[in-house]
Amino acid sequence: MNAMVDNAMDERRKRARRTAWIAGGVALGIFVLSIVQMLKL
Amino acid sequence: MAHDATHDHHDHHGAPQGFFQRWVMSTNHKDIGTLYLVFALLMFFIGGAFAMVIRAELFKPGMQLVQPYFFNEMTTMHALVMIFGAIMPSFVGLANWMIPLMVGAPDMALPRMNNLSFWIMPFAFTLLLSTLFMPGGGPAGGWTMYPPLSLQGESIAYVVFAVHLMGISSIMGAINIIATILNMRAPGMDLLKMPVFVWSWLITAFLLIAVMPVLAGAVTMLLTDKYFHTNFFNAAGGGDPVLYQHIFWFFGHPEVYIMILPAFGIISEIIPTFARKPIFGYKAMVFAIASIAFLSFIVWAHHMFAVGLPMGAEIFFMYATMLIAVPTGVKVFNWVSTMWGGSMTFETPMLFSIAFVILFTIGGFSGLMLALAPADFQYHDTYFVVAHFHYVLVTGAAFSIMAAAYYWLPKWSGNMYSETWGKIHFWSSVISVNVLFFPQHFLGLAGMPRRIPDYNVAFANFNMISSIGGFWFGASQLIFLGVIVHCVYFSKKKAADRSWEGAKGLEWTVPSPAPHHTFDVPPVIHDDELAHGHTDH
Repeated sequence: MNAMVDNAMDERRKRARRTAWIAGGVALGIFVLSIVQMLKL
Repeated sequence: MAHDATHDHHDHHGAPQGFFQRWVMSTNHKDIGTLYLVFALLMFFIGGAFAMVIRAELFKPGMQLVQPYFFNEMTTMHALVMIFGAIMPSFVGLANWMIPLMVGAPDMALPRMNNLSFWIMPFAFTLLLSTLFMPGGGPAGGWTMYPPLSLQGESIAYVVFAVHLMGISSIMGAINIIATILNMRAPGMDLLKMPVFVWSWLITAFLLIAVMPVLAGAVTMLLTDKYFHTNFFNAAGGGDPVLYQHIFWFFGHPEVYIMILPAFGIISEIIPTFARKPIFGYKAMVFAIASIAFLSFIVWAHHMFAVGLPMGAEIFFMYATMLIAVPTGVKVFNWVSTMWGGSMTFETPMLFSIAFVILFTIGGFSGLMLALAPADFQYHDTYFVVAHFHYVLVTGAAFSIMAAAYYWLPKWSGNMYSETWGKIHFWSSVISVNVLFFPQHFLGLAGMPRRIPDYNVAFANFNMISSIGGFWFGASQLIFLGVIVHCVYFSKKKAADRSWEGAKGLEWTVPSPAPHHTFDVPPVIHDDELAHGHTDH
């Protein structure tokens, strides 16, 4: 029972880390874009 | 690698012993929530002290106590400290404490990042506040940091770095909240069964991720303009200072909603508890929050009607701004409808919530007046604007935080606070805050500008009344501090698990005080235990 709960929790934490990477990537992308779009290249 | 950091050194028993291990190294959502709340309370008093300096100087016309530059430092620092140090961290603290408890998760999804998010904050604010003691002084160009004024001081580099740190902290906090809500909910806790507070924070976290990087970009460009000879905002070099205002307010307006949406969530938890009825129109409440968040992205230029926008832009931003009244009206209607016919009692959290509904609505109405572009040419940069946003942020955001503190203190501490002193705090605050801010509407309509240390004698009476209200409101918050300290350390009255008769939701199913670890095994969700999302309404 405990092993099943731990496995399910590990799986959820793995998904959470993926979500976090995506959200972090979006934030970084917005930061870079907010400056790059102002450059007259 | 990142295997469940909460279990690595805490085991299953309780809080780790030792101050350093418990608080500095903490990865526990409740401890980090407490850290955020204590930090926010400290900043609330520091920012409040700055406000006292402002009101003391404005007590009478003429220069009384401080030099004009120092006055400008006070207005700038008061805003920065209150926004980034008090309001936002207290909402993040509430999120840390309550979201895992409300969705049946054992902790936040990324506990070590949670620790880092918090511990960046004290460094950011030490950096920011230290500028007051530097040669040349701290920032004095207003919290909006408009160039070229903000670039005149030497402290801008410190301020920019402090803002970067705060931004990184906020973004990491937001990422953690999104990851927790989307992935860590107990089985059966569907999205549309989540408490409105959780919904409000999910939407707020998306706002944070979308706009904090824009602020970081804007202040980075300020920095390069100052020290690296770029000309983003320098008209002499082909740049445009008004461009900064567009970028800043593209961040700044959603930021306003970052500071009020979690307040909507809190009020939507408290009113049903003390009206002993489920919230009226749960789904409408959720969609209203989402609508307000969406609209926040398309109204930024209403902060800059006076810069000379094209007529089409003025009209668009005017109507888009007025549109926000629709979902906000839905929320106010639903809060009132929840109370309608309810079996209401008036404990301190409910009193603050009712005051929120009434006084926030006053702030909303003055916002509608400011949304009218032709009228805004008169109101712009006057005390009417100051009155408006203080009704929204003090009687709105700050009152909701006080309501939340009274509502959840029994769960956090295991003790009941003094209801008598809570009510004294409430009545003292609610009267004094109106003495403080209501006359500022008249001052603004009569033409008194913002951010000035001296003024025409015609404005003397209302300023004196406002200052008396300010000192009274400031002193009232010492009662708040006393109630909290008494409740946590001295109260003899123990709190029940379900501390309020009408309270529903998973957080009330755990003991009071909440144990260090909760929901290690996901709870079984019974719909009738939940505050929201019943199939029968």
